[in-house]
Amino acid sequence: MQHTLRQIFRSGKFVVGFSIFAAILLIVTIYPLLVRESPLTIIGQGTFFPPGIYVSVYDSLTSPRYTLQLDDAAAKRLASRLSDDDRLAMKEWLVGAGLLESEIDTTDTARLLGLWEATYDPAKRIPGLTNAKRNYYVRLDASLDGLLATEGLSLATKDPQTGALIETGQVAQTDYANVSQVANLRVLALGTDNFGRDVLTELVTATGVSLQIGIVAGLVATLIGLTLGLLAGYVGGLVDDVITFVTNLFIVIPSFVLLILISFSIGQEQRGAFTIAVVIGLTGWVWTARAVRAQVISLRNRDHVNLSKLSGHSIFRIIVADILPYIASYVVMALILQISSAILAEAGLSILGLGPRTTDVPTLGQMMNWAFIYQAYILGKWWAYLPALAAIALVSFSMNLMNTGLDQVFNPALRE
Amino acid sequence: MGKTMLEVRELTTKYVTRYRENVYAVDHVSLKVEEGRSLGIAGESGCGKSTLALSLMGYYFPPLHYTSGQILIDGRDISAMSPDDVRKSVLGAEIAYIPQAAMNALNPTQKVIHFIEDVIRAHDLYITKKDIYERARKLFETLGLPAAVLQKYPVELSGGMKQRTVIAISVMLFPKVLIADEPSSALDVTSQKMVIKMLRQLMEVGFVSAMIFITHELPLLYNVTDDIMVMYAGQIVEKATSEEAVFDPLHPYSKGLMGSIIVPEQGLRDVKLTAIPGVPPNLKNPPTGCRFAERCKYVMKECTSLPSIPLQEVSGGRSYRCLIPEAELRELYAREAHSHGHH
Amino acid sequence: MKGYRKYFLNKLAWFFVTLVFAFLLNFILPRLMPGDPVAAIAARLAQGMSNATGVQAIYEQYTELFGTNKPIIEQFFIYIQNVVRGDFGFSFSQYPRKVADVIAASIGWTLALQFPAIIVGWVIGNSLGALAAYLRGGFDKALLPVSIFISNLPPFGMAVILLVIFGVQLQWFPTSGGYGFDLIPSVSRTFLWSVITHYQLPFWSIVLIAIGGQAIGMRSMAIYELNADYVKYSRFLGIKDRTIVWYVFRNAMLPQITGLALAIGTMVGGALVAEIIFSYPGLGTTLLNGILGQDYPLISAVTLIITLMALIANFLIEILYGFLDPRIGAAQAD
Repeated sequence: MQHTLRQIFRSGKFVVGFSIFAAILLIVTIYPLLVRESPLTIIGQGTFFPPGIYVSVYDSLTSPRYTLQLDDAAAKRLASRLSDDDRLAMKEWLVGAGLLESEIDTTDTARLLGLWEATYDPAKRIPGLTNAKRNYYVRLDASLDGLLATEGLSLATKDPQTGALIETGQVAQTDYANVSQVANLRVLALGTDNFGRDVLTELVTATGVSLQIGIVAGLVATLIGLTLGLLAGYVGGLVDDVITFVTNLFIVIPSFVLLILISFSIGQEQRGAFTIAVVIGLTGWVWTARAVRAQVISLRNRDHVNLSKLSGHSIFRIIVADILPYIASYVVMALILQISSAILAEAGLSILGLGPRTTDVPTLGQMMNWAFIYQAYILGKWWAYLPALAAIALVSFSMNLMNTGLDQVFNPALRE
Repeated sequence: MGKTMLEVRELTTKYVTRYRENVYAVDHVSLKVEEGRSLGIAGESGCGKSTLALSLMGYYFPPLHYTSGQILIDGRDISAMSPDDVRKSVLGAEIAYIPQAAMNALNPTQKVIHFIEDVIRAHDLYITKKDIYERARKLFETLGLPAAVLQKYPVELSGGMKQRTVIAISVMLFPKVLIADEPSSALDVTSQKMVIKMLRQLMEVGFVSAMIFITHELPLLYNVTDDIMVMYAGQIVEKATSEEAVFDPLHPYSKGLMGSIIVPEQGLRDVKLTAIPGVPPNLKNPPTGCRFAERCKYVMKECTSLPSIPLQEVSGGRSYRCLIPEAELRELYAREAHSHGHH
Repeated sequence: MKGYRKYFLNKLAWFFVTLVFAFLLNFILPRLMPGDPVAAIAARLAQGMSNATGVQAIYEQYTELFGTNKPIIEQFFIYIQNVVRGDFGFSFSQYPRKVADVIAASIGWTLALQFPAIIVGWVIGNSLGALAAYLRGGFDKALLPVSIFISNLPPFGMAVILLVIFGVQLQWFPTSGGYGFDLIPSVSRTFLWSVITHYQLPFWSIVLIAIGGQAIGMRSMAIYELNADYVKYSRFLGIKDRTIVWYVFRNAMLPQITGLALAIGTMVGGALVAEIIFSYPGLGTTLLNGILGQDYPLISAVTLIITLMALIANFLIEILYGFLDPRIGAAQAD
């Protein structure tokens, strides 16, 4: 046993796979201890907030203020409000208005704005300008107001009686708040999804749930496959014929289709994560049964098994003591494969809208499905789908890597 | 004394494992087989006899590697030739091999005749299909095999027939030396007999000039070969004529292997080589001195303190690898036989 | 020749047996669930549809189609009869279209997409796997992990990656549909070009998925064959390496064909989901629409068609295998 373990851990592929898997497990276990918020809490009003640190604007206004004189502050402010596209559009208008192209330098913001303010006139007719474009320039011009201003902003509150605004303070451009002194800030490392939920929290929970589904489904499938394979292989005869027939039947009839039919028939209300896992397990046992049967047949007439038979041991005892130990490594490998393919099956089902009930827990497949329905792929909201996809791929990749490693240890022909 | 057909001088080959460890499975082996004679190689499984068979071909592929030594076939040194020259002009034509597992030795998706075509074409590019067929048919008939076999797939042949077909293919180019690696081990008794008969016939009709026969079944060796060489842990431990090796073994390991079959009439067949307690040493780190010391009844201090034990020659071309003198060994064995007789 | 005939008859019989069971499962599974299917349909109808006459028509149609008042055996024969006639009833979600029409409009897209993609993936995957087994070394070390990674992406994952990279970022190919949404199907150059560009991303995502799995399988097979006794024996008879490599790859390819026959169902299932990502107008998207519209007759028909496609593909591959493996003709003759 110890020797086998040592050999397994000498396989580079197994070690890499195992490390990735262990890291995922660790994150899935520890993260919920640190963040106790429910993964489906809707915190954002609006869809797909990009990843970042969100600081309360209100609280930063009332937190202690510091004055910092930074040279590049004005330039950065401008750059963030005036995009390259806008600059090019401005240049285009100015050229259209008769200015020389060589005189306009889009990188010199102050000069560009100066030219713009001096020349721009919404009433001016530029040849070839569409209405939509004209409106765009009007909006752009409005947004440029005060861009070069150096004075700050006034803070005001409303008088409850008269409704008049009373100035309560000033914010200068050189005013800074210390982030650690702002009462409210929220790190959304992966932004929010289409419902306004924290993607990171959702992702970690979903990975955990998907793993659980995988493990339950894998165990169910392996248990059924192992039992049927042992029966068919060891008992033989009519039992073998029947089981082989059923196995071959379910090999050619796509299990995915069965999954769809069963999941749909169960109905949305009955579909918990556990139910889905069991259904996936029920449709996924065929390959294990087939392989176990083949292994058992090759073992059935070995000397040690015959000896046990002659000694009058019961079938159960022979199977447990003389057959199982020899196929144990194989069954473990099959289980690993079953788990990873169950995770993929759940994801596939969820894409079709047949995944677990959406109200209690997220799964990786459902995150993909939501991202798909709300067009995150096309809108470029990568944080809504890429982490979930990466999680599915990593879990499945790590398990298969472990499996390949094990295979190379137990089937020496595949070694170099 | 006939002409020397195969001579091996100090041949050493090694396996390289995936962890880059060297396993010297054939360690400075020298042997000679003369025209018209056959040599048997005996030993437990894992003693290096099958590796020796592979190494004698002079054609190495991973994980087996050539280290040092020479192989001469009919006086020509093939260990100095390039692998491609060996393939073209030696393999199959000068030296041929009958594999241990002849059951799977034929490509399952090819008719026998097509395989024979590939074999002959590998050495003679210009021969016509018809000539190949004629040659194969004649050879099969001489060896008592039906020509119909040529048109069959291996899966259509019985085990015994497959083995005999493999033997016939091996001698298709009339090689000088034939190496048979346990050619009969997986067969039933009747097929075994036919295979042995066929191998003898090959020598008689002159299809091959010399033969090496490897087996762990001693009775076979005694009946088939003229000389016997006993291997242990990659080394030769004894060389003698079959008669001597079986009835008068010198090395304690040979004694252990052969000792129990002095009276062939008494259930010869059932004697298994596992009669000696213990297992051969791991060749990754072979023990210093005598490699058999750990399992030897007569072990002395010098056996393990010397770096290695030389092969010593005795009268009549015999040799054995042991520190105990010939006479003393005989005395020890006699005393033991005597005490056994008392029980 | 006798051997071949026996093999083909055997496979044909098995094909019909699986066909019967496919019908049976498709018929029984929904009925095993608690509640009577027509009642369930009625309940679902009440949620979604606004067209009152439509609801009534479908309800009556379905009571008759299911024949729920008749014994279960009779129901099954009614079902078979309807299916054979191609009568799957009306679609709930696309009323008054018939299910058969909805499927007829989408099945061609799926056939033209999936089967070429799976075959191309199989050929490329097997070539790469064989090459890796033969060359070993660096190529193998690079190919194996990449193949494992690719084959472990869910099929829709590969679709998403291609969509985002080539559709959204690089904008080389359109991201959804089977042809430009502003075009009307016709035999014009614009339309054909549109179809071809829309074909690329779904096609290659299915190909890539197939490559991963096949390359791994072929690599193991070829390594296994390279260690076979006949390889060693052939080498020692002086046969050229090139000839031996040909033996090995031919022999390793045969189980890969059987493997394809067995895996075709799973591959089709995965490819359907890839279709969905690209809103490709095939069966996958139709299935999704059926599920979203709680359209039971549509779902039932699509799943049946998919199963039939997989069974037929399986059968055809087995027949092809019979011609490729010379042992079939020889072994069965005894």
